Amino acid sequence: MKAFNICVNGLWRRVVAEPSRPLLDVLREDLRLTGAKQSCDRKGQCGACTVIVNGEAAKSCLKRMADLEGADVITIEGLGTPENPHLIQEAFVLAGAVQCGYCTPGMIMAAKVLLNRNPSPSEEEIKKALSRNLCRCTGYRKILAAVQLAARFLRGEQEPGQVRPDLSKGLIGASMPRPTAYLRACGAAQFTADIHLEGALEIAVVRSPHHHALIQSIDVQEARKMPGVEGVMTAKDIRGTNRIKYLVDDQPVLCDRKAHVLGAPVAIVAGRTKREALAGAEAVQVTYQPLTAVRTIDEALAPGATEVHEGQPNLCFSQPQVKGEIEKAWRDSEAIVEADFSTQMIHQAALEPEACVAFLEGDGEEAELVVIGRGINIHHHVMVLQEAIGWENIRYEEAFSGGQFGIKLDITSEALAGAAALHFRRPIRYIPSLTESMWMTSKRHPMNCRLKLGADGEGRLTGLDVTFILENGAYTSWGKAIVLRILQMLSGCYHIPHVKALGQLVYTNNAWGGAARGAGPPQMNFALESAMDLLARKLGGDPLEFRLQNSLRPGQSTSTGQVVEEWPFPGCLEALRPHLQRARGEAAVWKEGRVRRGVGIAGGSFGIGKAGPGDKSTVAVELDPDGALTVYGSIADPGEGNDAMLTQLAAHAMGLYPEKIRLVTKDTGRTPDSSSASGSRVTYMSGGAMLLAIEELKKAMSESGAATHQELVKAGKPTRYMGTKIQQTTPLDPVTGQGVPYESRVHGVQMAEVEVDTETGQITVLKMTAVVDLGTVINPQVVEGQIEGGLDMGAGMALREEYVHGQSKDWVSFKFPTIRNSFDSEIILLQTPRLKGPLGAVGVGEFVLLPTSAAVMNALEDATGVRVRHLPATPEKVFGAMAAKKAGV
Amino acid sequence: MNGEGAKKASASGHRVSRLASREVLLDQEGFLVDPEEWSEEVASGMALEQGLPRLEEPHWRVIRCLREYYLTHGKAPLSREIKKKIGMSLLEIEALFPGGLRAGARRIAGLPNPRGCM
Repeated sequence: MKAFNICVNGLWRRVVAEPSRPLLDVLREDLRLTGAKQSCDRKGQCGACTVIVNGEAAKSCLKRMADLEGADVITIEGLGTPENPHLIQEAFVLAGAVQCGYCTPGMIMAAKVLLNRNPSPSEEEIKKALSRNLCRCTGYRKILAAVQLAARFLRGEQEPGQVRPDLSKGLIGASMPRPTAYLRACGAAQFTADIHLEGALEIAVVRSPHHHALIQSIDVQEARKMPGVEGVMTAKDIRGTNRIKYLVDDQPVLCDRKAHVLGAPVAIVAGRTKREALAGAEAVQVTYQPLTAVRTIDEALAPGATEVHEGQPNLCFSQPQVKGEIEKAWRDSEAIVEADFSTQMIHQAALEPEACVAFLEGDGEEAELVVIGRGINIHHHVMVLQEAIGWENIRYEEAFSGGQFGIKLDITSEALAGAAALHFRRPIRYIPSLTESMWMTSKRHPMNCRLKLGADGEGRLTGLDVTFILENGAYTSWGKAIVLRILQMLSGCYHIPHVKALGQLVYTNNAWGGAARGAGPPQMNFALESAMDLLARKLGGDPLEFRLQNSLRPGQSTSTGQVVEEWPFPGCLEALRPHLQRARGEAAVWKEGRVRRGVGIAGGSFGIGKAGPGDKSTVAVELDPDGALTVYGSIADPGEGNDAMLTQLAAHAMGLYPEKIRLVTKDTGRTPDSSSASGSRVTYMSGGAMLLAIEELKKAMSESGAATHQELVKAGKPTRYMGTKIQQTTPLDPVTGQGVPYESRVHGVQMAEVEVDTETGQITVLKMTAVVDLGTVINPQVVEGQIEGGLDMGAGMALREEYVHGQSKDWVSFKFPTIRNSFDSEIILLQTPRLKGPLGAVGVGEFVLLPTSAAVMNALEDATGVRVRHLPATPEKVFGAMAAKKAGV
Repeated sequence: MNGEGAKKASASGHRVSRLASREVLLDQEGFLVDPEEWSEEVASGMALEQGLPRLEEPHWRVIRCLREYYLTHGKAPLSREIKKKIGMSLLEIEALFPGGLRAGARRIAGLPNPRGCM
């Protein structure tokens, strides 16, 4: 240990630390300055920990105390506060560059150093300065805009007041800054790892090094003797069933007899410090008997294949769909395309690790297990823990959450932290590494599919025949629901009279699939929209006109047989038409030579909600004594902007200023059950439920003539009212796959403009144009942010991202998108009010991902004449396809 | 089941069941899909399915407490809240219902399945 003097935010601090200790840990743990975040296992890959050291932007995870004696350090806390933000923080908020906020402090610090030196940076200069700061939510467009806005503020050309929206003209359609944005931009938002628990034990988890193995013995004797180790627990110490069940109880909290996947948890070691717990985990001796692992769908389905779960066939779920008579479709067809497509496993890649803290509140049978983590929507699942870890009384609190994109529909660290809190009867902190977080989270299911699509001589679609297999991985998670979701949206935007489909789910010893942004339809829509282009080419038609001709119309039915009342997809195509003409004109001069350009389009229609019966949200509102309105609902906000949506809707409905809306959304002990943040349902379901509650309140006020809380009380009326919204939908028939899964949908079409280097196969996305009809737009800036982030994620799916279990260990090996990959985008919002949406609105967060990868691949074919049907379209695949074409293969 | 049994299963595991004189939609674990469909008659039918031939006053106290709490707060009560309202120990409440609080009382009171997420 050694004493160091460093000046932090203008105050000289004396710090006693190991010389090798990273500055980040000293800031966060010793000085409790938690604005700088940790994401990349201290490898300097993410930039979330960026601070200013002696005037330079520095990754504080890479700076060692040994090199910092006398250093001048500025952290995000040294810039401004939510009440008095720095102009750069103000610019990030007003530009809509703050979504989850996990990367934001680091971004702002890097921007500060840039603007100190260069008051008028170009876009290229900003990209260079922020090239090592990662963001998963925004697609970087609004971050670039924020730095430019900050530069204008700092140059004195503009003031924040000139940029703030004029809310006097109405709240609906106003880009009001999100109520929590300043907290996030100033590093004051408390994420899970920022929570200090007095007397807490840190836990480390022993994980299987094998993809598939029997556990013969676990020897914890040496581990128990290690310095600082307070205890070790294994499966036999779990109080409950030790099985997490969403749809199938196939996932142990801690492995008992067998490990089904590399990284499966086997034992928990609790220590006074994380380092001691990790050393203890190293000392646990587990004897494994490795078993044959099935690592692909083909291996899992081969005759005599090892069963991942004994007694359970690897082919664990099938669901057919039949509409019309498929043979008639082929008889009526003039042109048919038939092809295989596949999509890869993808990590949702939220920047924040799967942190969780848990503790017992109270004593005896009344003791409540309090779990604080990254997503309140999983409180349902935490309730499942009642059985899994054997405790009835559980409350879930959501800290600020650094993105989730579907991950938090699964239990990850919560089961382990909860079980440890119960076993050790001590507060528990579980802050896993990035690699560990990757191991414990569900992924986007890889999909293999064979698709056949036909059209008649008039260019009308006749039939669609699809067989698809999803790789379930080791556990089912939501796998069956993902198969169903693909079938619920199978026919996409189109009227297809005859449909035959079969969806299957197959266990392997790989990472397991779960709810990943869009959860199924992005994979299938890639295949369908690729086939639409192939068929249009075969018929000699224009891809836009072909889609327009075949759009579903009100009164027609989807592949589930649901007759739709509204279908504003054609308007999206019409809105894109002039942009497509412009893009084609620009690309026309790039059809020869090494670098070629192409334009591709793809559509998408996405059902809102959980599908089938039982999708319900309950929200309560209360008129407070000071005239404010408090909204109660268990509504997760990992960055999408639900805080703005609820505030704007409530203030509009009540005729109040936004400052008079209070949100209580992060504690299941205080909130009604608003169900999950999934299926892009929060605006439609929870926004809708809140408006129903407000209607009840206003009715009571009107009936009693009361205008205030006090007058309601005097009139003998309650001041709190609940609203419940239930979707009127039906499940899919298990034999025919027919049903009414959704009340409403979001529609859109995207256009990709790409450049292809024919000598390397490298595809560069130049621009994405997205037309989206999402009904009434509540907050345009929030919506744009969702779309821009989704486009970036979709381009990653198309070109780059692939998670390989055991090999993908950090953000570099996952090929996380950087600001260097970011591309220009244009967003066109159409607002056909939806019949049942709150003020006519629906959600948009997941839809965005449906058209992107197909649009990019359609553009690739337009540029080069070759198509990649198996994602991601890496340069090697593109180059190989072009070489094969040249060779006439 | 009271003789009519499950009429129709679905891919999501929901089934229509005839309880007493009316049909209601239940999820795969026998919870009401729509708590608004609850009535005392439905509760008696669900109790019969679980092997409770007759609901006595102590059962109704627990059921009414759960329902009242749910209708006010939009969620099931935590254990300390149930104890406080009913004045029985948790063990006593658990013993009243086959399946205990969660799979017994909560289901008969028509509260939604806490697992019904996706």
